[in-house]
Amino acid sequence: MSRLRGLVVPLTWLVLLLGGCLAMEALEPLFRWIEPDSRSVIYQRADFLTLLGKHLLVVSAAALLSVAIGIGAAVAVTRRWGQDFLPLVAQLAAIGQTFPPVAVLALAVPVLGFGTLPVIVALLLYGLLPIVRNTLAGLEGVSAEVREAARGMGMTQRQLLMHVEMPLAASVIVAGIRTSVTINIATAAIGATMGASNLGDPIISGIVNGNTAHVLQGAVLIALLALFVDSLFAWLQPESASIGAASA
Amino acid sequence: MIELKDISRYFSGVAAVRELNLTIDKGEFCVLVGTSGCGKSTTLRMINRLIEHSAGEIHIDGQPIRSFREEVLRRRIGYVIQSIGLFPHWTVARNIALVPRLLGWEPERIAARVDELMALLGMSHSRFADKYPRQLSGGQAQRVGVARALAADPDILLMDEPFGALDPLTRDGLQDELLALHSRLNKTFVFVTHDMDEALRLADRLVVMHEGRIRQQGRPIDLLREPADEFVESLLGGSDRGLKEAALTPVSARMRRESTPSSAPAIDADASLRDALSLMLWHRADALKVVEGKGSAKMLGTLSLTDVVAARAPTASGEEARP
Repeated sequence: MSRLRGLVVPLTWLVLLLGGCLAMEALEPLFRWIEPDSRSVIYQRADFLTLLGKHLLVVSAAALLSVAIGIGAAVAVTRRWGQDFLPLVAQLAAIGQTFPPVAVLALAVPVLGFGTLPVIVALLLYGLLPIVRNTLAGLEGVSAEVREAARGMGMTQRQLLMHVEMPLAASVIVAGIRTSVTINIATAAIGATMGASNLGDPIISGIVNGNTAHVLQGAVLIALLALFVDSLFAWLQPESASIGAASA
Repeated sequence: MIELKDISRYFSGVAAVRELNLTIDKGEFCVLVGTSGCGKSTTLRMINRLIEHSAGEIHIDGQPIRSFREEVLRRRIGYVIQSIGLFPHWTVARNIALVPRLLGWEPERIAARVDELMALLGMSHSRFADKYPRQLSGGQAQRVGVARALAADPDILLMDEPFGALDPLTRDGLQDELLALHSRLNKTFVFVTHDMDEALRLADRLVVMHEGRIRQQGRPIDLLREPADEFVESLLGGSDRGLKEAALTPVSARMRRESTPSSAPAIDADASLRDALSLMLWHRADALKVVEGKGSAKMLGTLSLTDVVAARAPTASGEEARP
């Protein structure tokens, strides 16, 4: 029962998010007060729900790819045959974190052009880093004794990975995915400047046309989406790490 | 039977173990003892190929261990390390069931085996089966470790300082249990420790290692009486050797079948001469009443101070000591 109770927070954000998408018109007086001189105070060029869908699509496509690649890379460099690349990958992950997301997108345009694809690629690259870093940390956090026991009992490398290392590292890895996805929900908005239509559209067009109400609408919806996804991850995050940490 | 023939192991050119020859008979309790870095742990781990030997050959029951796949070999050999080797995300029952599961046993057979092992190690199934390792005390966790190692009924049990992190009281208890287990199961135990008292107490065959070589091996009592060199002598306790020897000799080996004044303190016939000596010192008595079993009133004979320090007659196992 308490597990289901944890869903209250994500559901609250979801209701606010969908409400915002469907009934933004209801807030017209508020936006009129903010932006009394504009012709339109509610963003009309596209339906908010469509923008939300596109936003989610871009972010989840990028997230799925970066989860697959990030976890794959981190697992590979912690195997005996990939060990030589561990310093390189760890360093890349660390350096990548210091890059502002805007810079990643700006750099992607000359290489990949405009459209949805370059945004996905840029988000993928930026989203890789927390996942790689956390997967490495999670795998390295599995104690040497546990590994030694697993090998000594006759587990194959594969069994060691699937039944011991991954379950013990799971909560740290999920935390990495959570960071990655949450950041990318925000970063994807900048993708609107690159021709990918999503919840960033009202913000960009609001800035261009000097319409604060539009900027606010996009920003609030993106914030609600980020809060919803973040609290969903908080609910999903396995508790196995606390077991691992407390067992010294 | 485990045979190590001219075994060497080099770590980046430096020999951790060199030209080591050791034969461990079936059913023997062999203890490798030495200071840290002497190669005892490396030797143990070469037997289940957690460390590969650089030169020489290791045979188990006549077969070279490299003729098996590593995992197959390890599933045939029990392995115990300090308690943290338990999987923290698995319950006690699942931890114990690890090797049978790897071997693909039927679930019913696994469940029955887990019950059997928990009973063997004196752990109540209802109390412990669903607990996680972090909920166990050090001694309980170590019992689970031993149960896990015994799960698939291996002929050989390798133990790498399993009691190193335990308090002395728990350790004493587990040593007793391990000895009982050994005499009951008729399996070959290979045990690594740096604690000489533990080694002397457990070993049938004591192997003293130093700088990657065996300095001496044999029955504990023989090593105590005739250490091969100064190193072995000092490792065995130097001036403390007399007490260590006394600890290996039971009271029954020295007592005389005479009656004692009833005022004398009583001692169990199975207790060691060391215990007897301690009792004499404590009670300022020069004779003890030997009784059968703890708290029993049945008198078996007398043990006097002279008997304790008397010339070495029959040894612990009743054989004549070597001259």
